[in-house]
Amino acid sequence: MTRWERSVPVYGIPVLTRGFWGLCLFIAFGLVLTGYREVVGLGASVSGMSDPYAWGLWKTFNVMVLTGLGSGGFAVGIAAWVFNNKKLHSVMRVALLTSALAYWTGLAMLGVDVGRPWNFYWVIMPWQWNVSSPLLEIAVCMSLYASVPLLLENLPPIFEYIIYEFPKWRGVAETCEKLMAKVYPFIIGLAYILPMMHQSSLGALMVLGGKRVNVLWQTPCLPLIYVWAAAFLGYNCVTLCLLLAKLSWKRDLDPVVMAELNKITVYLIYAWTAFRFLDILVRGKILHVFTDGYFSFLFWVETALILGSAYVLSTEKGKKLSTMFNAHLLCAVGGMIYRFSPTTLAFSAKGSSFYFPAMAEIIVCVTFIAIAVLGYLVAVKYLAILPGTNADWNKMAKYEEKVKPGIQLTGYAPADH
Amino acid sequence: MAMTRREAFKNLAKGTLPILAAGCVSAVLPQVAHAEEEDRLEANPKYHKTDPAKALGLLYDATRCVGCKSCMVACSQYNELTPDTRQDGIHQAPPALNSYTKNIIKLWRSEDGSDHSYFKQQCMHCIDPGCMNACMFGGLQKDEATGVVWWLGSKCVGCRYCEIACPFHIPAFQWDGFNPKIVKCELCRTPMAKDPTKKQPGCTKVCPTNAVIYGTRPELLKEAKKRIADNPGKYYQSKVFGEHDAGGTQVLYLSRVAFDKIGLPDVGDDSIPSGLKYSHMAYKWLALPIALYAGMVYFAGKNFKDHSHHLAEEQKETGLRAQL
Repeated sequence: MTRWERSVPVYGIPVLTRGFWGLCLFIAFGLVLTGYREVVGLGASVSGMSDPYAWGLWKTFNVMVLTGLGSGGFAVGIAAWVFNNKKLHSVMRVALLTSALAYWTGLAMLGVDVGRPWNFYWVIMPWQWNVSSPLLEIAVCMSLYASVPLLLENLPPIFEYIIYEFPKWRGVAETCEKLMAKVYPFIIGLAYILPMMHQSSLGALMVLGGKRVNVLWQTPCLPLIYVWAAAFLGYNCVTLCLLLAKLSWKRDLDPVVMAELNKITVYLIYAWTAFRFLDILVRGKILHVFTDGYFSFLFWVETALILGSAYVLSTEKGKKLSTMFNAHLLCAVGGMIYRFSPTTLAFSAKGSSFYFPAMAEIIVCVTFIAIAVLGYLVAVKYLAILPGTNADWNKMAKYEEKVKPGIQLTGYAPADH
Repeated sequence: MAMTRREAFKNLAKGTLPILAAGCVSAVLPQVAHAEEEDRLEANPKYHKTDPAKALGLLYDATRCVGCKSCMVACSQYNELTPDTRQDGIHQAPPALNSYTKNIIKLWRSEDGSDHSYFKQQCMHCIDPGCMNACMFGGLQKDEATGVVWWLGSKCVGCRYCEIACPFHIPAFQWDGFNPKIVKCELCRTPMAKDPTKKQPGCTKVCPTNAVIYGTRPELLKEAKKRIADNPGKYYQSKVFGEHDAGGTQVLYLSRVAFDKIGLPDVGDDSIPSGLKYSHMAYKWLALPIALYAGMVYFAGKNFKDHSHHLAEEQKETGLRAQL
């Protein structure tokens, strides 16, 4: 039985594959389109947005949905560090990397989406803030989270890389590491409180949508239900990354950690679903679950995907890897639909107006996802992100020391001894 | 070292916990005493500054409107807007309020064609506007003297949240061009400031039947109620739309047909920002976030120390460098 002991880079596989160049080509094309959008504006040639449907994919999918998926750093981290779930430390680096990539590309997308980005500088002047705006809360907390705690949390693998690959800089990197260790609890505290605040504010955004958001979704508790959904989506995303690593790079799985991830996902989902039904019940809208046609259907699609997957994960069948993968995937799809509904699928603007993204809008949306995927593929090959065993590390060290003479990856002795 | 890290955290906890406890309690308590009106004021402190007796607005009586659309022409002239002739290249015939159109006259007709009513759409100038509450840096402002809601370009990021937050679908975004603006009725505050001979907005100035009139909100409300009293049964539900709707608006409507037929959705009597009052509670003085932060730092610090010990031991055992 494998027990994850440390993170080990993916080795022996070239970084610059044909797929890598293909992705780069696609991203380059997408960035040219992004440049075109900056010149011509957000009109019909670039986006499907209109005055009734003022928000499109870039906000509603890249930010609202994908930062939910990128909440692993916060959701797994809080279990590991605050609730002292020691089993989860081994997957923290995967969680933090996926979070960073989701947030950084999401924020970049936000910059493309807004019409007058040059006025964003007001964000550094607190006396200019409208503190009752949920979007202000998101703008402040999300940029702060992405640029400080999330960045710092992702530095240790990079320090490590420097220590092994650039012996000249070893002293500097080790000093930085020690400094970080001193303030680490304060950093991770920030890394949990900020996402709690802005992931819930993403829900608060649509509270101002009033009656245009269908009653099954519109509730004063939307912020809480939204951040909760982000939490289990974070677990889905981390688990899927680990399963994909098994699939594509034959990385062994630690059954104990996987079972722990599944268990937490299942509990989060049971509680989430119960709370959601309770909220609808208390608001006296429970009949809408059956009588609202399309909206009721959408509600059941979400519930079936999320709750059904959780149920499968909780049974014996859920231990089979292919079933586990499918369950997490379908659960993530359900959760993503939930996060997408209040802004788009369950949002009724006036009259017969309709939103469907334009081709350019979809390409730019996918481009920024591709940037995150590319970043992930490069990072796991250079840095120790994916979990493995000490034996894996020794094997990797033997291989690397042969390929790159002069580097030493084992037999480490701290400098001050 | 005089103090171990564990002790330091303990002291930190001793110092902060009472404050946190007090913070948690006070985050909830003051809300209990709040009257609903006070909540609304708090959601939008700028409202304090507008004297409700001086708040300016319009009264539109759909039963008097003949659909001549002269108000649309006057609006374009006053505000120096390019008329939206994209429909046929000749007539100013926008399909809806848009970035060329701050004011529009539309026609509602029943399905069998037996009944119809014209109706006018422009900003309602809410007492507690959703758009203004949504805006991050104050790109939408409420004039302190008149309560008119206007757009301040230097503060606008172009996020279009105002369009999501307005229940009446009023703010319009310039979708084309690299320097887009939000376009909405500002009750002709700019043309009136530029030219002192203009004493009222373009639409009320030219209306041939006085279907839309200009004045302070109390005056207009009084007039509307007088019309309802003088003509029993004429007006839909004998109600002035905007007296209470969406927390009260400075633009008021009278209609013979149902309000939802003339572009006025049933938005309820609560202002749009009041939906956020529970969220605001959680942020009161930032007490809850700070308490949570301190709590998490305390536990994370404790667990981090244990984990670091564990890592150091493993490093000694295996000769492999510890990983954070």
